[in-house]
Amino acid sequence: MSSIVARSLSKSYGDVVAVNGIDLDVKAGHVFGFLGPNGAGKSTTMKLLTTLMPPTNGTIEILGLNAIKHPLEVRKRIGVVIQQPSYEPNLSVEKSLEKYGMMWNIDKKTRKQKADELIDIFDLQEIRKQKNEDLSIGQRRRVQVAREFMHEMDLLFLDEPTVGLDPSARRRLLDFLKNKAKSGLTIFYTTHVLTEAEYLCDEIAVINKGKILAVDTPDQLKSTFGQEKTIKVHLLYRHDNLADLLSNIADCSIDFNTGTDIIIQSGKSELVLSKILQILIENNIAIEDLSAMPTTLEEIFLKMVKDTNAPDN
Amino acid sequence: MHPTIRLVNRNLTISLNPGFLVWQVIFPIVYIFVAGFAYTSLIKSVPFGDSHMDYPAFIASGMIGFNIMNSTLVSGIIIWNDRRHGMFEQILVGPFTRANYILSNVYTIAIIGLISAALITLIGYPLFFESVKPNPLTIPFMVFASIVGSILFGSIASIISTRLRSSEGFNVIINTVFLFFAFVSTAFYPAQGAPEPLATAFYLNPLTYLVDIIRAGVFGTFTEFVMLEMLVLLGLAAALFVVAIKLLTKLDL
Repeated sequence: MSSIVARSLSKSYGDVVAVNGIDLDVKAGHVFGFLGPNGAGKSTTMKLLTTLMPPTNGTIEILGLNAIKHPLEVRKRIGVVIQQPSYEPNLSVEKSLEKYGMMWNIDKKTRKQKADELIDIFDLQEIRKQKNEDLSIGQRRRVQVAREFMHEMDLLFLDEPTVGLDPSARRRLLDFLKNKAKSGLTIFYTTHVLTEAEYLCDEIAVINKGKILAVDTPDQLKSTFGQEKTIKVHLLYRHDNLADLLSNIADCSIDFNTGTDIIIQSGKSELVLSKILQILIENNIAIEDLSAMPTTLEEIFLKMVKDTNAPDN
Repeated sequence: MHPTIRLVNRNLTISLNPGFLVWQVIFPIVYIFVAGFAYTSLIKSVPFGDSHMDYPAFIASGMIGFNIMNSTLVSGIIIWNDRRHGMFEQILVGPFTRANYILSNVYTIAIIGLISAALITLIGYPLFFESVKPNPLTIPFMVFASIVGSILFGSIASIISTRLRSSEGFNVIINTVFLFFAFVSTAFYPAQGAPEPLATAFYLNPLTYLVDIIRAGVFGTFTEFVMLEMLVLLGLAAALFVVAIKLLTKLDL
């Protein structure tokens, strides 16, 4: 069963097309990563899915409900951590959690209990009495994310929730989200940090210029789009004539800082490697080390965005 | 609990901080007791309808309207802060509609307006108790003035808060507009005896109408003119309220 189903979803502002006929399927209980560079259409898509604005075209079904016809019913069942900071400056951390629970109609006893729980989980004990206006950006972000767990939900939208968090707080949050997903919560997660998406997400969609470029699991994305391998050949000594020797071989470069590293980047890197090895042996050039580097999601993402930004596209 | 009531609860929590309450009480007290008595040596009595009254009693009753107007600044500040600190968007992705948000602001300013009016009536009572003429219309007039006045000035503050983006702009505009309302009105001095252009300007100002209605309630001076003022105030409040709602409904996220 899917928690989010969007078909031919579009949003235009005058002549500007922010989202251009995208289709989305987010399975229940999955963490769905939504990646894209600035201005790709991520935030507009989030606003459409969270019913903040109606689409120009297309349909949206959230948790089985028509989100265009029944936005309030949808909002009662979702949680949203928006991209910009949201807080009441003159309330303390504790009070803002408690008031947010009240806004969601949580009874007094439960919200007190939940607030205490979240203060522990998000490591907010030391700042629980401090006012939001006196907190650092990272602390405020932690409170903002924690606050969303004051109420129950079936689907959570997180728009770059780790911005401003230090590495340990970031890891803590990702682990917390992973556990929540295990217990059945569906998460729609946008981020610029690709290692986070790789760590957390079951499925990832890459968006650019308002269009979805690919949707798949992180591993499948790597195997489909990551055919170009990187191999590094480290030589024992520096050789001044190395550039001349390799001048006829495409897809390889010499790291001139060290002068001892040859980098091969190609879809047929093994073939390029065998040609290089032959030249090195013929010229008695000793190799100290040979390493192959796996393709990262970041490389795939950058390549996809670069391809769609090319003038032909 | 109804969503609008939950938002009113939240609005009151974030608005009624000690600083605001002190300001709401101290400022009028200074006016009533310092200006009221300091000017007594200069102003023996003030023309009021067909008779005259003490200046402290006149200013104390004017301060009720002034305080209602001042307290409705809260409405603009809530909207302004919610937009500035992301809570407007956060509320609208929660279990609320825009109508809930708008109504919660109306109820909040009406409550704060009523509390402010009651507070200043209590503080000012020793000064104007000799002139008070309680009658069956006193309380309805006071409640009418508090609610309609709150909605009117709250709508103005809301309109300003939806149209401006910089905090400097918001502060300058709101202070200028409310300063004009405060001093070009009959809250501090009567229209009778003022130079003609100034007296005319007084009656282009809704605070004058509000203060006149409050005085009519407190001192039992109901005239046809006061009834007309009530109608004008009601019409103006309704018109501005509609404009404020339209702007809030269209407010970009």
